[in-house]
Amino acid sequence: MMPIYNAPLLTIDRKETRRYAGLMTAKFDEQAIDAACEEARLLAEPHGIWNVYDYNSKTHMVQNEKPFEIKGSKITAHLNRAEQVIILAATVGETIEKAVTRHFSEGRYAYSVLLDAAATTAVEQIADTIEKAIQPQIGAKGYTMRWRFSPGYGDWGLDAQPEMLRLSDAQSIGISLTESLMLYPRKSITAIIGLVRENHETPIVHLPHDCTACDKTDCISRKK
Amino acid sequence: MIHIFDGAIGTMLQSAGLKPGACPELINIEQPEIIQAVHRAYVEAGAMILETNTFGASALKLAHYGLADRMAEINTAGVAAAKKAAQGKAKVAGSMGPTGRFIQPLGDLDFEEAYQTYYAQAKALAAAGADYIIIETSIDLQEMRAALLAAKAAASIPVICQLSYSEDNRTVTGTDPQTAAITLDALGADIIGVNCSLGPEQLVPIVKILADNTDKPISVQPNAGMPKFINGQTVFPMTPKDFARWTPALIEAGASYIGGCCGTTPKHIQAIAKAAQNCSEPPRKQSVPQLKLTSRSQTVAIDAALPTVWIGERINPTGRKKLAAEIKAGSLLSVKKEAIDQIKAGAALLDVNMGIAGINQAQAMKRAVTEIAQITAAPLVIDTSDAAALEAGLRAYPGRALINSVSAEPERLKTFLPLARKYGAAILCLPITAEGVPDTAEKRVDAVRSILEAAKNYGLKAGDFLLDGLVMTVAADEKACRETLRTLQLYRQEFGYPTTMGLSNISYGLPNRPLINSTFFAMCLAAGLDAPIINPYDEMMKNTLAAGAALLGKDPNGRSYSRMESNLKVPKQAAVAKPAAMDTLAAIKAAVIDGEKERIENLVSQAIDEGNDTNTITEKALTAAMNEIGIDFGAGRVFLPQVLLSAEAMRTAFLKIKELLPAQETAKLGTVVIATVKGDVHDLGKNIVAALLANSGFALIDLGKDIESSAIVSAALENQADIVGLCALMTTTMTQIDRVVQALKEAGSNAKVMVGGAAVTQEYADNAGADAYAPDGVAAVRLARQLIKKD
Repeated sequence: MMPIYNAPLLTIDRKETRRYAGLMTAKFDEQAIDAACEEARLLAEPHGIWNVYDYNSKTHMVQNEKPFEIKGSKITAHLNRAEQVIILAATVGETIEKAVTRHFSEGRYAYSVLLDAAATTAVEQIADTIEKAIQPQIGAKGYTMRWRFSPGYGDWGLDAQPEMLRLSDAQSIGISLTESLMLYPRKSITAIIGLVRENHETPIVHLPHDCTACDKTDCISRKK
Repeated sequence: MIHIFDGAIGTMLQSAGLKPGACPELINIEQPEIIQAVHRAYVEAGAMILETNTFGASALKLAHYGLADRMAEINTAGVAAAKKAAQGKAKVAGSMGPTGRFIQPLGDLDFEEAYQTYYAQAKALAAAGADYIIIETSIDLQEMRAALLAAKAAASIPVICQLSYSEDNRTVTGTDPQTAAITLDALGADIIGVNCSLGPEQLVPIVKILADNTDKPISVQPNAGMPKFINGQTVFPMTPKDFARWTPALIEAGASYIGGCCGTTPKHIQAIAKAAQNCSEPPRKQSVPQLKLTSRSQTVAIDAALPTVWIGERINPTGRKKLAAEIKAGSLLSVKKEAIDQIKAGAALLDVNMGIAGINQAQAMKRAVTEIAQITAAPLVIDTSDAAALEAGLRAYPGRALINSVSAEPERLKTFLPLARKYGAAILCLPITAEGVPDTAEKRVDAVRSILEAAKNYGLKAGDFLLDGLVMTVAADEKACRETLRTLQLYRQEFGYPTTMGLSNISYGLPNRPLINSTFFAMCLAAGLDAPIINPYDEMMKNTLAAGAALLGKDPNGRSYSRMESNLKVPKQAAVAKPAAMDTLAAIKAAVIDGEKERIENLVSQAIDEGNDTNTITEKALTAAMNEIGIDFGAGRVFLPQVLLSAEAMRTAFLKIKELLPAQETAKLGTVVIATVKGDVHDLGKNIVAALLANSGFALIDLGKDIESSAIVSAALENQADIVGLCALMTTTMTQIDRVVQALKEAGSNAKVMVGGAAVTQEYADNAGADAYAPDGVAAVRLARQLIKKD
């Protein structure tokens, strides 16, 4: 049975919400941002699930009855020293998505974008809390976590999604995949986290943990 | 006396040859001599309490090895091995670790299943002769509650409760040590402590906080530092000497039970036993009992010396038909919204009442308490007269709740007080007797006294009580106000416990009730009201509280009051602008740019009154505004949400024009059919583009998301579209663009094709044969205009 953790959302990060809405540090109605974050908390149905697998960093294989090969130069470099990987999935459900659409259709365009951004922030926070929940177990074994990496980022293709869903058992928290490899509900993620231990033979490859690996240079949320 | 625990077992078993992947607890049966040897080494090192090798011996954990049915046998053997090694020289603590799963709603494990699992294990450990039950390494307060309740029910030996904290000094699920100490003390833990995760240095401050918040003995079992991986093995680096160096500090902080967790050996234990010899039991200052309530992650204290605490009353379906109907239909959305909104308005505690006729109140209370606790950190007040609903709420709540309420009626005392005791809840004492509501302050004091006496007989004590002053209607009894005020004063003199009450009853039947309510509130604050139950949205009450706090010295020098008043005086932006000084069309343009849709309706009416026609307003004010916004957006001076506010203002303007001049058809720049392509369910980006186009003078036909290319083609032909806008967000869906472009050509459409979406690039658009690529909605408007002009 895969561990499930549906973390409480006691707050949603305003700064990240601003970033995802493309606001950066611009002056904007703070009450609207607050309201969007609070509505996102109200409507979110947070769910998270994960499992730990052995990983062969030479062959890039996630060990399983049906092994899963990780393809992509950036992701395999990022996992270069991992002995195990966590494969996780997280979602805030579809209710919030419906509210985004409803607000927009009723003419609250800006608010709708803020709510959408708050929902995105919420999914990432759910994933953060999952990492925190796993930390004690893996820390006791001497492992540390590399930052989480999702299909579609860098050159890791979306064709990894079916395997990511299978290995995280994302279906059991209500996440499915469309024919075009999109996660549904839309505010969902899958991700892989490499577990490494101190070992002085091979250095860890440190990819910059920011937006630089992403080709979408005109993204409104890109960190400068 | 300082009690010395043992250290780690797991690492010693591994060095004794336990195979990785084998069940460590099965050794209790298969090779008891190995376990006994480990225990013996600890006794020889000076351990006074041995922990059994049963950390993972719950049926839920043993099931991983197919050993669930041998649970009792394994636990019995574990206790036997420890007792044999102890030879009477050490006590034996039966160890119970986490189930490895989170309890609902955090995870998928039912609270009752966790309870039953721990109950069975505790029963087996106690029956085998354990001297203590130790519940340890728990990362979730709710799991600890299930285990503690189970252990208390299964056995009558002392229970030690040890949570594990992360480096942020909270457990994984967010509990801080103060909240843990208060919650577990109230729930009946005999010793409260901390183990694992961190080394001794990091645990000193946690021990201190635990000791400051409970009178119970404190236990601590640190790891031998933070783990490192050396030569293929996980190693805890602290030497016995380094480890033991922290013993005096841990004792000084309040610990009287000390041992070790991961990475500690008999040598570590020997070292701390030696270090502890020179230490006397920690001085524990007797804490002044204060009423403290907790949620999973927060503690709220109610006390005369502290700022007034607001109890939000809005989660109550009484007299609220819509809310009642919604709850009855199974939706808690409005309940959760009230929770969030009341806290935002200043409530520190939330009253939860599910009193609806014809529903299962126990079920409703359990669900409400569970769901509210997922979205707020405010401790809850379980408001019910139904004992089953009360128990359901208390059992489900991952904290220390307040019971609203316990009256002096014998039936209520008999059913509610044992539940308060069992679940560690505080009680709101309501001075109503079997004869009814006492009319004088003295009689109310008597009634409360009888409640307190009964409560103390059930084991409740100072710090568990909140006294209700009882408010009657002044219109029916002119003494009602004065008796309540006297009641509050007498409570303070007689008992010294904090006070509460709902206020609005006082003004029933009188005009201008808010004035009566707030005046009464001010009087009550002066008479000693500590935690009013009110509607936190009531601005007048909020202001009265702020002024009252300044007057009564709870807000030194009136600082908060002054800050609140000066905030109110900040002029709004809208008030600064002077639209009157501007030409009306220029004012409309400015309002659109500023995204001020509140102002725009009047301005549009004014412009029409001045004789402007639709096209003039559109071109000179609205389109001109959008052009300017487009330039600023392109230059990075304004951002998407600001552009959208402007679009909202434009929309408001167009709707107003349409309302006032229905006959004048706005000239359309052209017709756009827009859609998110087949396979793609993103529609926010497409909606933004559609809204901006529609508000820039284009006729829009929005087909929606996940649209077949054939549907797009037929819509383009049918509407004689000038432009077809296609949106694709992902690499996997943008190939649909090629298909639609092709199909449009084949069908003989003359429409220009504009494409966009996160994954789409100019290069891709060119290769697909599209006429334009729009990186964002503002660019889409500009490009659409150009495409039309080219025709």
